[in-house]
Amino acid sequence: MFERRLYHHIDWVLIGAVLAICAVGLAMIYSTTGGAGRVYWTQVYALGLGLIAMAIAVSIDYRSLADKSHWLYFAMMILLVGVLFFGSVRGGSRRWIELGVFNLQPSEFAKATLALMLAKMLGEERRPALTNNDLLIAAGLTAVPFLIIARQPDLGTAITLLPILFVIAYVAGMPMKYIYAMLIVAVLAAPIGYKFALKDYQRERISTFLDPSSDPKGAGYQQIQARITVGSGGMMGKGFMGGTQGQLRFLPVAHNDFIFSVLAEEQGLLGVLVALGLYFFVIMRALDAARLAKDRLGAYLVLGVLASFTFQVLYNITMSAGLAPVKGLTLPLMSYGGSSLIATLAGFGLILNVRMRRFTN
Amino acid sequence: MALAEDRRRLTQRLTVLRVAIGVGFVLLAFGFWFFQIVQHAQFKEMAENNHQRTLTLRAPRGIIYDRTGKLLVENRNSFNISIDRERTKDLDRTIRVLSTVTGVDQKSVKDIVDRHRREPAYRPIVVVPDATLAQVAAVTARRLDFELPGVLVQEVPTRQYPDQDMAAHLIGYVGEASEDQMKDENVTTGSIVGQFGVERVYNKLLMGEDGARRVVVNSMGREIRTLEEVPPVQGRRVQLTVNYAMQKAAEDAFRNFGYNGSAVVLEPKNGDVLTLTSLPAFDPNDFATGIDRATWASLNTNKLRPLQNRAIQGRYSPGSTFKVLIATAALEEGVITPERQIFCAGGGTFYGRFFQCLGKHGSVDMRRAIEKSCNTYFYTVGDMLGIDRIHKWGELLGLAGKSGIDLPNEVESIVPSQEWKRKRFKEKWYSGDTVSVAIGQGMVDVTPMGLAVMMATVANGGSRVVPRLVKASDEGKGWQPVAMPPSPYPPLLLKPETASVVRDGLWLVVNGSGTGGRARIAGRDVAGKTGTAQVISLQGRERARGKTDQDLRDHGWFVFMAPKNNPEIAGVVFAEHGEHGSSAAQVARHIIETYFAQRDGLPLPVLTPRPPATPTTPVRAAAVANMAAIAPPEAGQGDTALARRSRTARFVAEPR
Repeated sequence: MFERRLYHHIDWVLIGAVLAICAVGLAMIYSTTGGAGRVYWTQVYALGLGLIAMAIAVSIDYRSLADKSHWLYFAMMILLVGVLFFGSVRGGSRRWIELGVFNLQPSEFAKATLALMLAKMLGEERRPALTNNDLLIAAGLTAVPFLIIARQPDLGTAITLLPILFVIAYVAGMPMKYIYAMLIVAVLAAPIGYKFALKDYQRERISTFLDPSSDPKGAGYQQIQARITVGSGGMMGKGFMGGTQGQLRFLPVAHNDFIFSVLAEEQGLLGVLVALGLYFFVIMRALDAARLAKDRLGAYLVLGVLASFTFQVLYNITMSAGLAPVKGLTLPLMSYGGSSLIATLAGFGLILNVRMRRFTN
Repeated sequence: MALAEDRRRLTQRLTVLRVAIGVGFVLLAFGFWFFQIVQHAQFKEMAENNHQRTLTLRAPRGIIYDRTGKLLVENRNSFNISIDRERTKDLDRTIRVLSTVTGVDQKSVKDIVDRHRREPAYRPIVVVPDATLAQVAAVTARRLDFELPGVLVQEVPTRQYPDQDMAAHLIGYVGEASEDQMKDENVTTGSIVGQFGVERVYNKLLMGEDGARRVVVNSMGREIRTLEEVPPVQGRRVQLTVNYAMQKAAEDAFRNFGYNGSAVVLEPKNGDVLTLTSLPAFDPNDFATGIDRATWASLNTNKLRPLQNRAIQGRYSPGSTFKVLIATAALEEGVITPERQIFCAGGGTFYGRFFQCLGKHGSVDMRRAIEKSCNTYFYTVGDMLGIDRIHKWGELLGLAGKSGIDLPNEVESIVPSQEWKRKRFKEKWYSGDTVSVAIGQGMVDVTPMGLAVMMATVANGGSRVVPRLVKASDEGKGWQPVAMPPSPYPPLLLKPETASVVRDGLWLVVNGSGTGGRARIAGRDVAGKTGTAQVISLQGRERARGKTDQDLRDHGWFVFMAPKNNPEIAGVVFAEHGEHGSSAAQVARHIIETYFAQRDGLPLPVLTPRPPATPTTPVRAAAVANMAAIAPPEAGQGDTALARRSRTARFVAEPR
C-alpha cells in the first residue's frame, strides 16, 4: 500500500523541524536531570517508538483509517474506561496502564483518535452543509472522552480535547453566531463557574495566578519561580547545565511541565526565539498540509491533530513564563513523557500522511 | 458550487487560524522579551537570592594570657544549629521535627524564632547553640532525607575559660551584641561582643573581623558548593598584667579560710594589676554560648551578688587601714613629728565627747601608734589635720574618687570634706566628725581598689598610679606593649622620712607586737595594717541579736606592701565577715608568699586545708545566703548606709 512515488511527497522539512524540537527537548532533559540518566534514556527510547508510530501513521492511507475511525474511537473509549478501573495510580490520579518497562497513558492517544473521528464525521464528501444536529453529535463525541479523562482526574489533558472540536467545527462552517454566543456565555459563566464548579485548590490556583505574592510559599511558589527562572536567563542564558533555578530544584518538575522555563534560563531569549520559531514553523507548515489536502477529511484531520498540539504549546509556554495558572500540561515534543511523545509523533504521522497523499485518489 | 464554496470558506478560516496563532506567538515572544530583557536585572537578583547564601564566618576572639604567658582565655569549636527561614517550606513543621530530633523543648525553639521574627528571613536563626555531637549527628542525618529543609549546622569558635570562675570579674564574659552595642561598635546582629571586664573594655582588640562565605544552596537549603570565601581574621592576642599564680593563690586562700571578699595587688612602680579578685564569682563559660534564663536569674537574685565586682564596686568603711593615710598626711603636713609622743589612757575627750581606744597604750610615738593601732593617737592627729587636709591627702594618695582602672562601672571611694558634707547632707561639718574619720569610721567609704592604690602610692614614694590590666597585645607581629597614657597625677615626692616612718610602723604591725602577725613571712619584711569595717552599729547589734539570721559579723581588712624597703608589691585583702583584720592578713600572706616564691623560682606555697574560721552551722549557712540588706553597702545604696553609720556609729571606735 505504500507506493514508491509517495515517498517523494513526504514532507521531510516538517519531519526535520519536528525532530529538531525533539532534540532540543532531549538536551534540556539531559541538562535538568543532570546527565544521561533513567529519565533521559526513557525519552530516547520513546522517541524511537514515536518514530515507528509515525511511520505506521504515515503508511496507512488516512482515508482507510477514517473508514475505521468509529471502531478506533470505540476501542479507545473502552481503553479509557478500563484505565479508570485497572490503571495504576500516581500522584492521586489514575491515568496509566502498566506495560512492564513502560507506562502507557491512553488519554494522550485519545486526541488523535478524536480528531480522526470528528474529521471523518464532519469531513465526509457528499455531505450537505453543516447542521445543528451535526454539531450536537460532534459535541457528544467529544464529551464522552472528555468526561472519562476528567474523571481520572486529569482535567489538563481533557481540556486539550476541546480545541479539536472547536477548530474542526469552525472550519467545517460552524456559523459565526454560535462562536459569538459561546464567547458571551463563557464570559458570563466564568464567575459563576469559579464560584460553584471549581474545587478549592483550583480556585486557589487561579487567585494566586492573579496575585502570586499572596502565597509565595504555597500555590504561588511555582509561578514566582517560573518567572524568576525565565527572567534571570537574560539575553544569552546561563549556559547548558548552567541554570540555577532548574538545576537546584527551585522550579519543580523542571524536566516536565516547566522544561521551557529551563530552556529560557539556560539559553536565554535567543534560545527562546529559536524554539518559538521552530514551533511556529512546524504549526504553519502543518497548516499548509491542511490547505493542500486533497479532501475535506484530510484537511479536518490535520486541523484536529494540530488544534490540540497548538493549544498545548501555547498554553504550556505561557505557563512556563509564569503568565498562566499552573496546570499539569506538558509541552508536546519537548517535555519528558513517553506517551505524549509517541502520540504526538503519531499525530504528525497523520499530518504527513494527508500531505503525502494530496495527489492520490 | 458547494465544493468551491467549501474550499473558499476553508481557506478563509485557515487564514484566521494562521493569524490567531501568529499573534499568539508574537505575544509570547514579547512576554519573554519583557521578562528576560526589560526585567532581567530584577529577576537575576531574585535568582541569586534563591540559590546563594552568605554565611558569616565568626572570627575567633583573641587569646588572653597572664603576664607570665599562662593561658587564661582561649577558644574552642562548637556547633550551632540554625534555621534559615527562607528555605523552610513549613516553619512550624521544621520546628517540630527539629525539636524532636535534637530533644530540645519545642516551645523554647519557637520562642527563639519568635524573638528574631523581625529580622530578614535570609539570616539564619541560631536555635540550638553549642549543640552536642549527638544533636549534630541527628540533624545532619535527617537533612539528607529532606525532612529538615532550611536547617543548617555551623561550626563556630566559642570562648572558653579553662579556669572557670577564676578572675571572672577581671576577664569578664561575652554575649550577643545588644541594640546599643550594634550601633556603637558597628557590629551586626548576632555578633558576639565583650559584655563585662577586659572582654568588654578591650573588645576592639579582641574581636577580630568576621569573614564570609558565599555558597550555592539548592531549594532544600543544602550547600552545593562555595562561590567565594573571605576568611575571618582572629582578634589580637592580649597579655594581661595579672599574675596567674598570685590570682589563683588569692582565690585559693579565700576558699581555704572560708571567706568571700576581694583582693587587689598592684605593682607600685607602674600600677600593673597583679591580682584582682572578687568572690563569690560566676563562671564566664555559662555566658559563652548564650546564658540560659535560669542561670542568669539565679546570678541576679543571689543575695551574695556574684556579679558585683567587689574590688571596684563594693564600698566599705576602711577602719584602721585609714590610719596609713592619716599618718602620711600628718607627717607631710608637718602637724606632728614622728618622735612626738601622745598619751593614751584608753581614749580621749574631743569636743565634749569621749572617744574610745581599745587599749591603754600609754605614751606612743607614731611608729608605736601604727603598730598598736592606737585610736587616741590618731584621734589627736586627725583633729590636728582637720577634715579638709585629710580629704586633700585622700586625693593625693589615690584613695578618694575612682582609681581609673580600665574596668567599667567603678564606684568612687569617699574621703569626706566640709564641702562634700554640705553638698551631700546639706549639713555643716562638725569637728567631732573628723575625730571618727581619723580612725576610718564615720563618713569614710572606700573600695578595696582605692586602698590598693593608696598603698601603692605610699610604697613607691608618692606617685599615684593608675591601675591597668593590659600589658601587651599582638597583631601577629609579636608582642607590642600597650601604650600607657601619661599619669594624670602630678608626681608627688613624699619626704623620705615620711615614707620610712610609715613603713616602719607598718612593718611593726606584722613583725612586732601588732595585729598583723598572721601575714608575717620570715625574711620577706611584709609591712601592713589590719582594719575592721563594722557591719552594724553596737546599738543595732543589740537590737538584732537573736532576732535575725543575717550575717552581722564585721568585715576584715588587710593592706600591705612588701618588702618594706623598696616594695615590689602593694595591695589589699578584704575578707567579708572576716570579723577582724587578721582574717584578711592570712589570705594576704598566701598571696605575698606566692609572689616571692615565684620570683625566686621556689616551689609555690601550698595551703594546708583547714576548717573555716568560724564553724558553719546551718543557721550560719542560711545567714550567708541571705546577706543583702545590711552588707555590703554597694553603689547607690552606699549613701544611705553611710548616712546611717554617720549617725549611729559616729562615736564608736573599734580598732584592730
